[in-house]
Amino acid sequence: MAELWHGYLGPGAWIVFKILLIVVPLLLGVAYLTLAERKVLAAMQLRKGPNVVGPFGLLQPLADGLKLLLKETIIPSGANPVVFLAAPMVTFILAIVAWAVIPFDYGLVVANINVGVLYLFAISSLGVYGIIMAGWASNSKYAFLGALRSAAQMVSYEVSIGFVIISVLMCVGSLNLGDIVLAQRGLWFAIPLFPMFVVFFISALAETNRAPFDLPEAEAELVAGYNVEYSGMTFALFFLGEYANMILMSAMTSILFLGGWLPPLLIAPFTWLPGPVWFALKIALCLFVFLWVRATFPRYRYDQLMRLGWKVFLPFSLFWLVVTAGVLVAFGWAPRLAG
Amino acid sequence: MIVYAAAFYVFAAMAIASGAMVIASRNPVHSVLFLILAFFNAAGLFVLMGAEFLAMILVIVYVGAVAVLFLFVVMMLDINFAELRQGFLQYLPIGGLVGLILLVELLFVAGTWVFAPEAGQIVSDRPSGSGGTTNAHAIGLVLYTKYAYPFQLAGLVLLVAMIGAIVLTFRSRDGVRRQRVADQLARGPESAVELRKVKSGEGV
Amino acid sequence: MTAFSMTDLATVAPEIFLAVLGLALLMAGVFRGDRASGWISWAVVAGFAAAAGLVWQGGGARALAFDGLYVSDAFSLFMKQLTLLGSGLALVLSIRFNDREGIARIEYPVLFLFATLGMMTMISANDLLVLYVGLELQSLCLYVVAAYRRDSVRSTEAGLKYFVLGALSSGMLLYGVSLIYGYTGTTRFDVLVEQVAGHGAPALGLVVGLVFLISGLAFKVSAVPFHMWTPDVYEGAPTPVTAFFAAAPKVAALALFARVLVGAFGPLVEQWSQIIVFLSIASMALGAFAAVGQTNIKRLMAYSSIGHMGYVLIGLAAGNVSGLRGLLIYTAIYVVMGIGTFACILCMRRQGRTVEAIADLAGLARTHPMVAFALAIFMFSMSGIPPLAGFFGKFYVFMSAIEAGLYVLAVLGVLSSVVAAFYYLRIVKVMYFDEPDAVLDRPIGGTLAVVLAGTSTFTLLFFLAPGPLLARAQAAAAALIGG
Repeated sequence: MAELWHGYLGPGAWIVFKILLIVVPLLLGVAYLTLAERKVLAAMQLRKGPNVVGPFGLLQPLADGLKLLLKETIIPSGANPVVFLAAPMVTFILAIVAWAVIPFDYGLVVANINVGVLYLFAISSLGVYGIIMAGWASNSKYAFLGALRSAAQMVSYEVSIGFVIISVLMCVGSLNLGDIVLAQRGLWFAIPLFPMFVVFFISALAETNRAPFDLPEAEAELVAGYNVEYSGMTFALFFLGEYANMILMSAMTSILFLGGWLPPLLIAPFTWLPGPVWFALKIALCLFVFLWVRATFPRYRYDQLMRLGWKVFLPFSLFWLVVTAGVLVAFGWAPRLAG
Repeated sequence: MIVYAAAFYVFAAMAIASGAMVIASRNPVHSVLFLILAFFNAAGLFVLMGAEFLAMILVIVYVGAVAVLFLFVVMMLDINFAELRQGFLQYLPIGGLVGLILLVELLFVAGTWVFAPEAGQIVSDRPSGSGGTTNAHAIGLVLYTKYAYPFQLAGLVLLVAMIGAIVLTFRSRDGVRRQRVADQLARGPESAVELRKVKSGEGV
Repeated sequence: MTAFSMTDLATVAPEIFLAVLGLALLMAGVFRGDRASGWISWAVVAGFAAAAGLVWQGGGARALAFDGLYVSDAFSLFMKQLTLLGSGLALVLSIRFNDREGIARIEYPVLFLFATLGMMTMISANDLLVLYVGLELQSLCLYVVAAYRRDSVRSTEAGLKYFVLGALSSGMLLYGVSLIYGYTGTTRFDVLVEQVAGHGAPALGLVVGLVFLISGLAFKVSAVPFHMWTPDVYEGAPTPVTAFFAAAPKVAALALFARVLVGAFGPLVEQWSQIIVFLSIASMALGAFAAVGQTNIKRLMAYSSIGHMGYVLIGLAAGNVSGLRGLLIYTAIYVVMGIGTFACILCMRRQGRTVEAIADLAGLARTHPMVAFALAIFMFSMSGIPPLAGFFGKFYVFMSAIEAGLYVLAVLGVLSSVVAAFYYLRIVKVMYFDEPDAVLDRPIGGTLAVVLAGTSTFTLLFFLAPGPLLARAQAAAAALIGG
């Protein structure tokens, strides 16, 4: 019995606890991100935003969640029920499992795998399935059009994200997220790789279907895009998944370019704050920019979106990749591995 | 070890089952979705073997890119299932015969299975994830040195595939008005805005 | 795990030269537009010539490069130059054709170049992996050029059919490769020989893998029963592309066949020899009988090429030096004859439009005596009538079969060439004895005339000086069998 406990149940319980330790704050963060979005947008548009439920509207997200939970889930008669119900689950689960490899501090990570960046990239490239399945299974023209747009958009921008990631990897020499953060002790990659940082951030906007690239849910032409037929909890899962993806992309930006859990300077007043707090602050900063962009820019036209992805970002990131590699080799800065 | 074995059997069984469903399901979209599931389980098996780099690349390339395009095409195709099944019955005998021959061959092959003497060596040469070099490092070391020649050739194959796709599908159409961002940006207020004094009550 | 050295790069110089030239011409073409296709084509032809020079420069001494993935020897020297000759001539034939048909684009010569690069890679492959990559490089280019006239339904169909069946054959080939790798633990040819030789009776899985490998390769040389794509693709593809198909890829695939079977699986000769004998007999028979009823000359040439592959495989089935020498000589002569015949077919235009029926050749002897004479030479040569070149090809192949004790194969070969002679001679009869109903266009164009003159002279006068070709084929065959 004791062997069973020490061999399997104990470690299993510890893993479940760690997972909960990430998922619960994450879901809370998602809930309050929706509130933050409405507050920030309101402030930028000289409005007040939600301020009725609870002090400063702080209970608004809970009220919204409760409402969605109690609403009926309607499955359209022409829909393919299995795929229809699987789609929001896929979106939500993918948005959550990606967090397994995110390091919050030195060694503070659920799964410290060697190929962390690739894992993140793989998971984020899978996000498209939830959307495309939803669009197809809904058996609705609006949903299908929205899904097609979204899939094309995400696949297009993934390519340049891949090149950006490769150029970061070349500077680090490891695919482990912890190593990537540690490599930025002297200088955050946002500075030497500034153009790639910008490309990454804009591609992240497109990858998460956020404004100004929110064509998949262009409400003016497509009603609401791929999730038009969803209601109640299925809709809520999409919603949660999307916002969790936003946070994930912000976390990726922080890790790849803003030094993850590291303070800006490794000197006294900055080092007083623990790593996870710095990490959260950086994520919050990125998220604020997400919202800021939404409040500022009009939506792109579809051909402009594709042009930007394929004719601007792709050649540009490829070019910078070559430049980065050239500089690393020319100055002997390329990282060397043992063995 | 029990967890490892259980994971192996789950992944393997799922991979085989979803592989069977790829050909068995009537709806082609379901087939593609099962194909994706099969890829996933194959990636899981790779992870169990300690080849996590390959697993991730499998997911990124096949699931993240190739299968999405598959799904795209299949969703837009208008396939007549009744017609497909007609042909199926017609070709069933010959197809079944070919399948049977392949199966028998496979059984023969499996029956006489002898491991190559080097096979054990290859497995033990595999770089482990924890100590020494990582997977990606090990692949990189042989890919860019020993196998540089086929690697470059594979690059040329991809280039040719791209040229081929462009040759066969790209048509430059005349009379299309394209957006020129530089022109738009170069346009100043002088050429775009005209200020006029309009007397009240008269209109422009 | 050391990086490759300069000697490696020097050994692979012809391939590197072609690859770099292809990339440069592609860039030039993209910036200059489709009007540049003419000079790009000539640049590619010049590049082929230069590559042939580089191959010659490299010499026939056996040299390995890239850790044994690449081999250069007298065999590869012979086959590479032959491939470059076939590709170059086919490209020369296409330039004017594409211009007249309004389908001249810069990608066309570049695709030819990459296809040829793929073939050279195949010829020099010393590893199953490189074999596959080279084969794919070549095949992808061929699929595209087959469908090159994309507004024509037949050309598109040809490309699609070729692609689907080619992909199937690649799959079979890969399956075979994986079995072979699984049972021997290596993909390198020179290691395979030792593995196979050392272990007495071969494992069944290895033999099954070998069968799949042979099937995949048989697809590429269009040997029966893997020939189904050939007539449709030959008929549907633009004529110069068909000329290309008939010449260069066959050379490369045959080289691969010889190198894999004789080079890597030489000790298993008893196992694969029967398969090759079967492929050979079936191809000869089908090539002879199915072609009789054809009315379209390109389709006829497709069946003719299937038949010729049957004769060539006799040499492989013999599996000895003289058999390989026969294979090499036959292939070389076949390339020249094939290009010449297609040059004649390219002359078949009426009021600016291409015609392809055999009946359109009626009375050619009166309207175009020189073209008719050349075509007659090729037809007589293909049916194996002495003293034309084609006779020598058949002669050496049959000799080797008798030498190896394959009497049945030799007799069947002679019989089928008698049947095949019927349809070759029918074309001659149509040209010389039928009344012309409408006159074909003239003049036929300078480049076409030069190619026609060159190939027909070679075919006609080969018997005067067969020595150099024989000597080089002998050296090449000995290089493969010897080591």
